[in-house]
Amino acid sequence: MASTNAPAAEYAGDEVSAIVLDPGFSTIRAGFAGEDVPKSVCPSFFGYTDAESDSKSQFLFGENAIHTPQANLQIKNYWGSDGIVEDWDAATKVWEYAITSRLTSTKPSNPLQNGLNEGSNGNGDTMDVDIENVEQAEKPLEDSPLLMTEPGWNSSKAREKCIEIAMEEWGAPAFYLQKTGVLAAFASGKASGIIIDIGASHTSVTPVLDGMVLRKGVQKSPLAGNFVSNQIRMLFKQSQPEIPLTPHYTVKSKVQVDAGAPSQATYKTFDLPPTDSFRRLEEERVLTEFKESVVEVWPGPQRFNMGPSEEIAKNQPGRPFEMPDGWNQVFTADRFRVAEGLFDASAALVDSDNPRPKDEHTISRLVQAAVQQVDADHRPMLLGNVVVTGGSSLLYKLNERLTQEINTIYPSTRNKLIAPGSVVERKYAAWIGGSILASLGSFHQLWISKKEYEEHGASIVEKRCR
Amino acid sequence: MPPFKDEQIIIIAPGSETTVAQLGLPESFTPAKTRVRSRMFPAEKEGEWEPYKVRRKQSAEKPTGDQNGAADGEESKNVSSEQEEIIYEEDRISEEGAVWPIREGRIVNWSCFFALITHVYNTMNPPFHTPILLITQPAWTPREHEKLTQFFFEKFKTPAFSLMDSALATSWAFGVHTATVVDVGKDKVDITAISEFVPHVQGRVISLPGCGGEALTQGLLSLLKAKGFNRDMLPNSKKQKATFIYEDHALLDNLKNMNLGEKGLAEAHAALDEGPSKKAQDGTEEEVREGGEGSGAPGAKSGGIRREIEVGVERFQAASNGTLEKIADAVHRCVSSVDEVNKRSELWDSLIVCGNGSRLRGFKDALQATLQAKYVISPSSATIFTSEIPSNISTPAGTGANTPQPQSAPHGGSSQVNPLLLAATTAQNPHLMHPGANPILQGMNSHNQHSSHGQTPTSIKLVKPPEYFPEWKEPGYDEAAFLGAQVAAKVIFVVDQGQNKGYMTRPDYNDQGPTAIHDYSL
Repeated sequence: MASTNAPAAEYAGDEVSAIVLDPGFSTIRAGFAGEDVPKSVCPSFFGYTDAESDSKSQFLFGENAIHTPQANLQIKNYWGSDGIVEDWDAATKVWEYAITSRLTSTKPSNPLQNGLNEGSNGNGDTMDVDIENVEQAEKPLEDSPLLMTEPGWNSSKAREKCIEIAMEEWGAPAFYLQKTGVLAAFASGKASGIIIDIGASHTSVTPVLDGMVLRKGVQKSPLAGNFVSNQIRMLFKQSQPEIPLTPHYTVKSKVQVDAGAPSQATYKTFDLPPTDSFRRLEEERVLTEFKESVVEVWPGPQRFNMGPSEEIAKNQPGRPFEMPDGWNQVFTADRFRVAEGLFDASAALVDSDNPRPKDEHTISRLVQAAVQQVDADHRPMLLGNVVVTGGSSLLYKLNERLTQEINTIYPSTRNKLIAPGSVVERKYAAWIGGSILASLGSFHQLWISKKEYEEHGASIVEKRCR
Repeated sequence: MPPFKDEQIIIIAPGSETTVAQLGLPESFTPAKTRVRSRMFPAEKEGEWEPYKVRRKQSAEKPTGDQNGAADGEESKNVSSEQEEIIYEEDRISEEGAVWPIREGRIVNWSCFFALITHVYNTMNPPFHTPILLITQPAWTPREHEKLTQFFFEKFKTPAFSLMDSALATSWAFGVHTATVVDVGKDKVDITAISEFVPHVQGRVISLPGCGGEALTQGLLSLLKAKGFNRDMLPNSKKQKATFIYEDHALLDNLKNMNLGEKGLAEAHAALDEGPSKKAQDGTEEEVREGGEGSGAPGAKSGGIRREIEVGVERFQAASNGTLEKIADAVHRCVSSVDEVNKRSELWDSLIVCGNGSRLRGFKDALQATLQAKYVISPSSATIFTSEIPSNISTPAGTGANTPQPQSAPHGGSSQVNPLLLAATTAQNPHLMHPGANPILQGMNSHNQHSSHGQTPTSIKLVKPPEYFPEWKEPGYDEAAFLGAQVAAKVIFVVDQGQNKGYMTRPDYNDQGPTAIHDYSL
């Protein structure tokens, strides 16, 4: 067989694009810098099967693995309730899965056997070199610089942990950490602005000035997507009669029933019912559908429980929703109520487990608090660049309401809301900003190289990634 | 003059079970001419591979025979020495010790995979100036695409190379720009939502394990075990040259009813010649048709008997061990993950089920039926006639709000038209759904807005296969990706000639390296 060694004129470059990793509570976005959407979007939820059920306990990652009902499958999330990673071992594994499963490859092949070196097989010298490299080649990020995003309130301990994982576990040659707020602003082409990021677990408001986060101005609250989900759950529970929330996996086949009539579906039976955490994850799928097709933010001008708002809402055409078991109903005023808590704490549904949210946690108050921390001279400029991002910001009419609220608080400035039109840009804004940053020619001036890390240790991240 | 001619183009589609390829585009597109089992055998030397099982044979028996296979290539070696003659013989049938480089759509053994591709390439014996279009599995990552690019340029010195996603190729074959492609393979299922020719990568279901043809075979097997069937009696692709897994059920069913003796078993074996149009009814299957030995059916490339056992939908569902539901759930997840809510209903209405695992008779219908039973949203009784009076010109209600409120329309067009009514009428007239064509719908078709009926699906339909490829009719469209690739190859190499960067040329490769392949692929 002829030698396959490339002639000298052939490509022998070493350009490799950086990988951008944007972990969120609901999904992890990962992809190559310079691309316009992340190629890999993985759930942050992962499965865990107990040691008792199997001979060995194991982790399950990715959409395919976590949606199959099986006994003893626990669904977990590595995020803590404060918006900082809690379970670092799991986080490392899930992130690695997000990168390797769809970007690089699960098992980097041994250069001895990857078929590209056939011509050099007889050559003992090259073989030896290859063998020395084998150990390093087993690390997943061996040849890609990594840009990671972090929430504005990340602790310095968590930041150091990030660089440790990247450098030591994954063998990344270079690393940089940037806050989601700044990146979301970049994605909209802004260096300054107020970034409202409404995610799954948290809503954050970040004032950004010339590409720098004003740290003391960063605000966060738990009134976000999951909060709305809980509101919907409460709405279902408090309805008369109670609305049953049945996830798809419990239903064998459904029968068409009249609106409001009890379901006549045939249900599946399980010898060992799946765990509560699994059920919750699957219920969340139904709730997401409900949010997409039914829920609407009351657009104003007045609050929902003030004046004639509710009456107007009642007269608008309702939106039907059908549960996986066939139960269906038309939702009218209620579909506004479940999202109202984001802006008006007093309108939120409450029960014993879900106390009334704090007034200062509503989105409008967060914006107010963030702007308060900014130098008065900069306020008009920032208010002219209010960037809205995050998956939960896609709630219908949310932008209208937000504009309304901000104009009420700041009637004298020219407030402008910048909300990317396409869903993709809105959902993945921070990742897209990261993709832009990491593909800039100057990115290599920012990053922390492996050498620097080895010299200074993990604490270098505090100095370099501000 | 175009840089490439039809007869120069090579298309290769690697699969877990079978790798198909073809040199040259025929006048009228045909199923792939070259079919190779996707496996290689380790050679004596570490890291080298043989396409057939090579056995060391002691010379005592008959030293001269079995050399006829040597014509096929350099693989068969005859090392003869003075004192002891060692003869290697090729065993073309045995698959003992074979290495399958692709597992569940993923390349697990690169050196073996490259050897396989080389073998396929050599089998076609192409002349020099041949551009190559490689159909990629969804499970292959961008980094792996680069690796493949490097291999093809450096090994075969190909003048032009391009990659095409198999799901996208399938949608090309069916001639639709938006589709949900369910590709049922041997051990896995891939589900891809494609809208406007762009595969939706984020929510793509890649390599869902335990759902392919193999799982269906297993399911059937477990069902029939009680009856004394064993694996060999099932149309197991491993035991036959036929590339496809077939099921026949009228037979099985009958066999189950009659107490099966040897005769029954024989029947199972002598199952019917494959033909998508034929439907064996109870009773008729008694006759044993053995005619399909390769030459009979034009689609039978590998010359084996194609067998088919048919299982009625219900039995088949019972046999599938929840496989169908698993696939159905994955389809639902895949479509629900498409961010543009308004695209979803179109995606549900253009389902394509392909892949050799889906050849099972009744599979497509069963999958569609499962999806429909579980996921179709029926029109709500509450909305059809009652509360859905157009709101802006509201009829006087008992609320005292007799004067219409000067509110802006809450949902795009809904102020003029009852959205549900609109959805109901347009669903029956799909041409009305054309984006932007209908002024009423215009507002709804923009991003980030509720579609006229929020929840999907309101209907689920399979895309009809194209009718203008006569050669594909007989074997069926399960390998439609290959057809799509032929269409695409014609477009990118011959019609477009690289103007839109449909392929990467050798100078491009030399300038930019393998990473640039992402700028060139379809």
